[in-house]
Amino acid sequence: MFEHDFSALFPEIFLINATIILLLYGVFISTSKQYDYLPLVRNAGWLGLLSVLITIVLVAAGAPLANPFYNNLMKDNLTYYCQIFLLLSTASTIVMCLDSFKQESLNAFESIVLILFPTRSMLFLISAYDSIAMYLAIEPQSLCFYAIAASKRDSEFSTEAGLKYSISGAFSSGILLFGRSMIYGFTGITNFEELAKILTGYEITLFGAESSGIFMGILFIAVGFLFKITAVPFHMWAPDVYEGSPTPVTAFFSIAPKISILANMLRVSIYSFYDLAWQELFFFCSIASLISGALAAMAQKRVKRLLAYSSIGHVGYLLIGFSCGTIEGIQSLLIGILIYVSMTINAFAIVLALRKTRFEYIADLGALARTNPILAITLSITMFSYAGIPPLAGFRSKFYLFFAALGCGAYLLALIGVVTSVISCFHYIRLVKIMYLDTPKTWILYKPMEPEKSLLLAISFLFISLFFPYPSPLFSVTHKMALSLCYIR
Amino acid sequence: MFQFVAEFSPANLSGLIPCPSLGSLILSVLPDSRIRPIRSLGPCASLITSSYSPVFRMQFDNSTAKSQFVETLRWLPYSNINSVIGIDGLPSFSVVPTTFLIPIRIPVGWSSIESYKKEYIIAFPISESFMIAVFRMLDILLPHVFLESVSIPMFIIMGVWGSRQRKIRAAYQFFLYTLLGSVFMLLAILFIFIETGTTDLHILSTTEFSERRQISLWLALLASFSVKVPMVPVHIWLPEAHVEAPTAGSVILAGILSKLGTYGFSRFSIPMFPEATLYFTPLIHTSSVIAIPYTSLTTIRQIDPKKIIAYSSVAHMNFVTIGMFSPNIQGIEGSILLMPSHGLVSSALSLCVGALYDRHKTRLVKYHGGLVSTMPNPSIIFLFFTLANMSLPGTSSFIGEFPILVGAFQRNSLVAALAALGMILSAAYSLWLYNRVVFGNSKTLYKSSDSDRREVLIFLPSISGVIWMGVYPSVFPECMHTSVSNLVQHGKFDQ
Repeated sequence: MFEHDFSALFPEIFLINATIILLLYGVFISTSKQYDYLPLVRNAGWLGLLSVLITIVLVAAGAPLANPFYNNLMKDNLTYYCQIFLLLSTASTIVMCLDSFKQESLNAFESIVLILFPTRSMLFLISAYDSIAMYLAIEPQSLCFYAIAASKRDSEFSTEAGLKYSISGAFSSGILLFGRSMIYGFTGITNFEELAKILTGYEITLFGAESSGIFMGILFIAVGFLFKITAVPFHMWAPDVYEGSPTPVTAFFSIAPKISILANMLRVSIYSFYDLAWQELFFFCSIASLISGALAAMAQKRVKRLLAYSSIGHVGYLLIGFSCGTIEGIQSLLIGILIYVSMTINAFAIVLALRKTRFEYIADLGALARTNPILAITLSITMFSYAGIPPLAGFRSKFYLFFAALGCGAYLLALIGVVTSVISCFHYIRLVKIMYLDTPKTWILYKPMEPEKSLLLAISFLFISLFFPYPSPLFSVTHKMALSLCYIR
Repeated sequence: MFQFVAEFSPANLSGLIPCPSLGSLILSVLPDSRIRPIRSLGPCASLITSSYSPVFRMQFDNSTAKSQFVETLRWLPYSNINSVIGIDGLPSFSVVPTTFLIPIRIPVGWSSIESYKKEYIIAFPISESFMIAVFRMLDILLPHVFLESVSIPMFIIMGVWGSRQRKIRAAYQFFLYTLLGSVFMLLAILFIFIETGTTDLHILSTTEFSERRQISLWLALLASFSVKVPMVPVHIWLPEAHVEAPTAGSVILAGILSKLGTYGFSRFSIPMFPEATLYFTPLIHTSSVIAIPYTSLTTIRQIDPKKIIAYSSVAHMNFVTIGMFSPNIQGIEGSILLMPSHGLVSSALSLCVGALYDRHKTRLVKYHGGLVSTMPNPSIIFLFFTLANMSLPGTSSFIGEFPILVGAFQRNSLVAALAALGMILSAAYSLWLYNRVVFGNSKTLYKSSDSDRREVLIFLPSISGVIWMGVYPSVFPECMHTSVSNLVQHGKFDQ
């Protein structure tokens, strides 16, 4: 029996081994006098990228259906595609980071290792099918994030960001764990499938005598999750952490954990505790994130803070899909994540590519249209896509999210989403305005970017701008994922 | 026989839409330094496109209200959203100015462009293909998508190549106004899609919505179209945008973009929601009747000729809405005729002002005068289009406005009377503007050159179009008569 389990987990096993080998290799080479204490970050980066790519192949070649380790993990279509997608986004983050760690004077190969380790835990998180497995997957992921957020030791911002991130992360994990123990205490069950069996048709209301414990458990789990994905009432750490951490690190944890945590949230909230208690909370958080994401981003002067608030706003859009809970809702959520991630990869690749001085303020973009015209057009198309202007990919995701919201009768949500998308348009096109229309006093000249980053940028740009004519593959894949989540019983 | 050829030729209607975009794709890989081929290739791409449309005109069957040259491209098959391309009598005219205006107009603004020359050429064909797509799609989602897409190139065109510092404000206004309107339309479309499970216009026009629902959906569509038209409370963006845009940009704004709104009324609001159309006719009439004298009077106190032209196009577009919503055959046909006519006239007027601006670098009326002694050719052209703008009989605008007034009179004589006031006022401001700019003493010491052959030639298509429509108009109603009467009967508007 274990033989099959191990073969189902082959990609994860490979990734763990590759990471350990990379760690050993890095430690031995970079401390060896024979090689003159070689700085290894670029070399380790390429090796890490290679191992991620091999893992993608292994995941893609593997069977999509398995249920290994006594039902602790679950591999189905949702897991399969989410894992591939997660690995792709990790690979693109590594591509972005190859040169940037050096630029940030972070000459430590550990940062690559610290990207591979959380990737492994995110793979487990996506396939987690048990409360304990889920928690055990979330924790190492967050732990690695705390470490790389604070990895730039000589920068006050970075250490402060790491501290803030670890405190808020530990706090949210505590809340999550408390929710889990409430659920366990009141049901005696940790497995999602069994929970689903027990809780189907269970009226979970706050004041029902025997179910208030379960309700509290659900509430705490939801709050823990919402902390992790920076939904609004629990978002306070995100802008500071985004801004303080080194940019490649920010890129990593604004992209990858969103995928894994949202996949796990789907598993938990749609499959095991499908109930109205979740929906109202998500509904509220969605509205709050939409409004404050749109309004707060308007007042930002720094690029990374702007991107942080824009990601908060986008989490609001994604939560629209959650608060519906229909097949269309899940599908639109998945489409939304995919498109959001590709846009964010694009935006961060550009932010990382602009690196003559420390590129911090939005105003530094002035004259970019004259110095780097192609980069300027790419960034403006990305911004238009963030704003949801057709015919770009961002429009597609918003369109489908509103479609799901109207389909389940959430008219208020759709209305607020529409209005906030117009408001948020204002700050996205402000970037375009600064690049094209303003005439700045100081022209900042940026170094040309390296070929691998420009390749990544080209791919994501083409995806964003040419997604519109042929969207059906993504739609059918996400449909498959949504179906596998709902009808697996 | 022609039908057969059309069906099997590779260059079908769908070939029209990506053609300009492909042209600009080729342009974008050419190096910046080779500006000459770029300059000729951009207009060429749109010239090829415009040569498509007469072909379809010839094969067009006047005797049917069906959509012709229908093609279905599978797009999102399982959610039942496909792009259905086709054409019938209603948009047949609006495409023609689109395809004819752009290739001629790109070289016009050329001389005053200093930066980003290549991008300038690239931006126009892209916006052109979006606009053609709006007119050609027989679906509700995709026209909306392309309608909104136009705002990206227009934002760039206005912001980058606009003339003054106020352009940023104008670009923002344009962008946010149109976006806010169109997102409400998006909600309406999604709602319709959820209710009926399709976005195909043919199916939707046979679907009956309940009256309450029609009213709310109609209002959501109005939010989008009224900004584009522009109707009175939301017309502020147009004069701003018109003044700040470069010459070729304001040609697009006046010639095509404002037609998208009225086209939307005729394509979506009237056939899909006939009861709501009747319910809201007084609203539209009131707003247009306020708009026509109001904007006409506003022109009188403006000092910028481009703003005067912009306000006069607001007045004319409100004529179009009056015709559209006095839903009888005369009214709708008149308004459909006024759309291309206004597209020709108003864009030519802004070209005239653009030529003036290129020479004198000012647009304030105060500094102009005595143009006739320095620039006789533009003065004559300007006179011609001024007369056409005040809808002199014999020009195309008269052919449009007269049926509109007839149609409005049948519905409500007060509306017709107030709208006719606009004709008087338009004569007042047009002639006064002409008088101030062209006659009198020359106020500038700058020795301005007369327009050369190129500048005269680009007016030729507009002039011939205006005269043709004005003198021998029967060709134009012929091909849309069936579609319009079908529209009127479908809505049971003719009591």
